[in-house]
Amino acid sequence: MGAECCYEVSQIAYIKLVLHALKHRSAAVNGLLLGRLRQDGGATATVEIADTVPLSHSQIGLLPALELALIQIEEHFEAQGLSVVGYYHANERHDDVELGNAAKKIGDHIFRYFPRAAVLLLDNKKLERLQPSKGMDPVVQLYTRDSSKSWRQTGSDGSNQLTLKEPAANVVLLDYISSEKWQEIVDFDDHLDDISKDWLNPGLFN
Amino acid sequence: MVGASEAAQMERLESQVDNGGGGAWEYLCLVRKLKARRSDKVLKHGLSILNDHRARSKLGAEEWTLYEQVAFAAMDCQQYDVANDCIALLSKQFPRSIRIGRLEGMLLESKGAWAEAEKVYARLLDDSPLDQIIHKRKVAMAKAQGDLSAAVKLLNKYLEIFMADHDAWRELAEIYVSLQMYKQAAFCYEELILSQPTVPPNHLAYAEVLYTLGGLENLQTAKNYYASTIALSGGKNTRALYGICLCSVAIRQLTKGRNKEEKEVSDLQTLAAEALQRDYKQRAPNKLPFLLSMLKNMKLNS
Repeated sequence: MGAECCYEVSQIAYIKLVLHALKHRSAAVNGLLLGRLRQDGGATATVEIADTVPLSHSQIGLLPALELALIQIEEHFEAQGLSVVGYYHANERHDDVELGNAAKKIGDHIFRYFPRAAVLLLDNKKLERLQPSKGMDPVVQLYTRDSSKSWRQTGSDGSNQLTLKEPAANVVLLDYISSEKWQEIVDFDDHLDDISKDWLNPGLFN
Repeated sequence: MVGASEAAQMERLESQVDNGGGGAWEYLCLVRKLKARRSDKVLKHGLSILNDHRARSKLGAEEWTLYEQVAFAAMDCQQYDVANDCIALLSKQFPRSIRIGRLEGMLLESKGAWAEAEKVYARLLDDSPLDQIIHKRKVAMAKAQGDLSAAVKLLNKYLEIFMADHDAWRELAEIYVSLQMYKQAAFCYEELILSQPTVPPNHLAYAEVLYTLGGLENLQTAKNYYASTIALSGGKNTRALYGICLCSVAIRQLTKGRNKEEKEVSDLQTLAAEALQRDYKQRAPNKLPFLLSMLKNMKLNS
């Protein structure tokens, strides 16, 4: 992928991701990123991550739930012109900042359909240090696939940067954290345990 | 395994206590019974009882159980002083107790003082070499430090002695899954099914691992175990119903052209598809369209 590519994550996508991790603090969680590719003219393009669907908080290495989710989620978001553009993961342990094999495998799978796929890994230390006064920095790390087919963390060196679409996203996030909003988040796992729970989380931010 | 009705009761009590409606002790007992991890609530409501002189004396001897429960919750919430206070009171009441000794070890663990915790556990094991909980704490420490291969080794050694410990088999299976060692995970679930043949989650987990492994034989076995899950859970298990559909599609793709057993096998698929549709119609009608189109693509919709 020679061309420059930016990654922009919307407030709802970002907040849902963090809330999901906060709901299941003693487990690894993951989810899918939905979005679209926007050509900005010239050689640059932006991957807009418009929404996320939380997937699992247990047995992340197993296929059935992942396959079901991909089918139904793709179907739903197609109507809005969005498709799966990436994957997010939050590790089980607080100080684990490595992108694990399970996450890489799922990322590889998504990469096959969307070559600019993004993998976001929650950075717990950044989340801990988040304060209302400073912080337009997202609390996630971005990984993309480089030419040697491995997932590389993107730095602040210009190319492949991750930005928050709404600059106040962290402020809103802190607000939701203090009001314990994470209790209300539903993931695909929850839906499979009780189908009356909606993985679209409508009305979460009302 | 948390029974659905008791879990619902616990949720109800939790919101009742949260809103000041009383029932804190009943809630705490249920949390203990179900081994649920609700540390922030336990800490809050447990402390409110312990700090109230009258409420505490009403508990009688159960007071000490509550101190222990609150100590665990405090450790989980990084409130080390609270945990320390509880443990101090407990060790005054029960000097030289192994159970309290374990709590001390766990407090060190929760602070990340692994070496000291090891020492405490080694000392306790000297007096009580077959203490299962301490052996499992060593596994937990390995896992907490991110050394999964050590955790696996320790768990395997543990299970050689304590092979009837179902929780340990389940934990080992889950660690194997997280390491993508699916064959080994399958072995663990096989042990669980042998010793607990009527527990649906074992059948379900086994089926999911086999599906992930793939290959015709595994898929067919997975389908059988999804079916047994459905039979054991009265047809109510959504994951198993979906599992039948997924297996049928995967098997069909692998056996394209061969005609054996197609008719007999398709009854099961159709029944599963119908059961899913009925359930979604009733309880998740806004998701029904996705289910229907998925089934149509799988050619399971009549």
